[in-house]
Amino acid sequence: MTDFKKIEENLKKEAKKLLESGEVSVVLAYGKGFDEKHPMPYAAKSVADVDHMIFNEYCTYNMARYLVRYPQGTKIAIAVKAADSRAVVQLIQEEKVKRENLKLLGIPVMGMKNSKTGEVIDSKTTCGMYNPILYDILLGEEIHGQKTVSPYDVLAEYEAMDKDARWAFWKSQFDKCIRCYACRKACPMCYCDPCFIDQLKPKWADKAPQSPGNMMYHLTRFQHLAGRCVDCGECSRACPVDIPLYLFHKKVAKECEEMFNQASGMSLEDKPVLVNFRVDDSDKILE
Amino acid sequence: MSFEPRILGIACNWCTYTGADLAGTTRLQYPQNVRVVRVMCSSRINPSFIFKAFQLGADGVLVGGCHPGDCHYNTGNLYARRRLAVTKKILEFAGIEPGRFRVEWISASEGNKFAEVVTEFTSQVKHLGPQTKMKIQE
Repeated sequence: MTDFKKIEENLKKEAKKLLESGEVSVVLAYGKGFDEKHPMPYAAKSVADVDHMIFNEYCTYNMARYLVRYPQGTKIAIAVKAADSRAVVQLIQEEKVKRENLKLLGIPVMGMKNSKTGEVIDSKTTCGMYNPILYDILLGEEIHGQKTVSPYDVLAEYEAMDKDARWAFWKSQFDKCIRCYACRKACPMCYCDPCFIDQLKPKWADKAPQSPGNMMYHLTRFQHLAGRCVDCGECSRACPVDIPLYLFHKKVAKECEEMFNQASGMSLEDKPVLVNFRVDDSDKILE
Repeated sequence: MSFEPRILGIACNWCTYTGADLAGTTRLQYPQNVRVVRVMCSSRINPSFIFKAFQLGADGVLVGGCHPGDCHYNTGNLYARRRLAVTKKILEFAGIEPGRFRVEWISASEGNKFAEVVTEFTSQVKHLGPQTKMKIQE
């Protein structure tokens, strides 16, 4: 198990160093919430702010979400876990942030917990990786020798379903949606302004939280995140009505990986799959 | 009365639409169930068009574009191929019959192929029956 206290100490130490030297103007990490189980995303802008930082097993938030809120060129240090680092790589691929403006504080982590259910988060709801892909400073020991489970194993049950049953399942899930857009707010890849669902011309769907509009919103969101979703699972954890959005994202990610042989956010050299093509892509993918 | 499907056809201006024109001028017979909408390129098709079409009551959606490599804009249909492949997978996992959505490459000289594809696709959708899952109920 990860030593969370040690990571917290290292995090504070490095954050203090970076802010003192003026190398970065803001450190994105986790801060105290109203209790230990509910930490908050936190942006430390001065050395004095660093004392408010914490790190424990409930710090699940994907801080890459906040990178795009700062103007281009801001020097930012950011605490990244495994999936978060993939999100950062994906944002660099999409040219939303520049590598030279970032200082990545990598956190290898195992045994994070969902503060709502108290369950340990594993490959069932996330990408199931432990070590960050990309980092400048590592704040803990890398984790090796763990049994690797494919993050797509959880899909088998749903893929085996009859299509009518699957439709009934998703309809019942999307009917619950109250259109709070927490999934969009929590997602590191959802940065469009305005989001297609907020547009009035063309008006893609009703704003009311009713079945057709919900379906349009979610299906289009899956399409927009195809080949970009890094499987951090934040959308489903942020959801107040517990829609298992991660299932659909996993399915689309799996298909993209099979069709285009490229997983999202794994290498700085890649281009996002849907803004790229190969002349020899097979027509079989359309069948 | 037998079920006559309503099919939305989205055709690229340079190949499929011209191909459909050719099918007309050579007086080929094909079912009249497809309502063709012309777009400048198959990559103009926003995947939301397809979801929206199903919501507004289309029983099937047929997309036509130039053959890969023949795009008027050089690379448009290569992007569209990847994009629409993903759309197809999404519809399938949501539980819509995959047979209701089809992408075909039909060039300007293939009036025959256009007629064939429309005939085949119409009978396929007819066989699947009315699309009620996504359609907005009044």
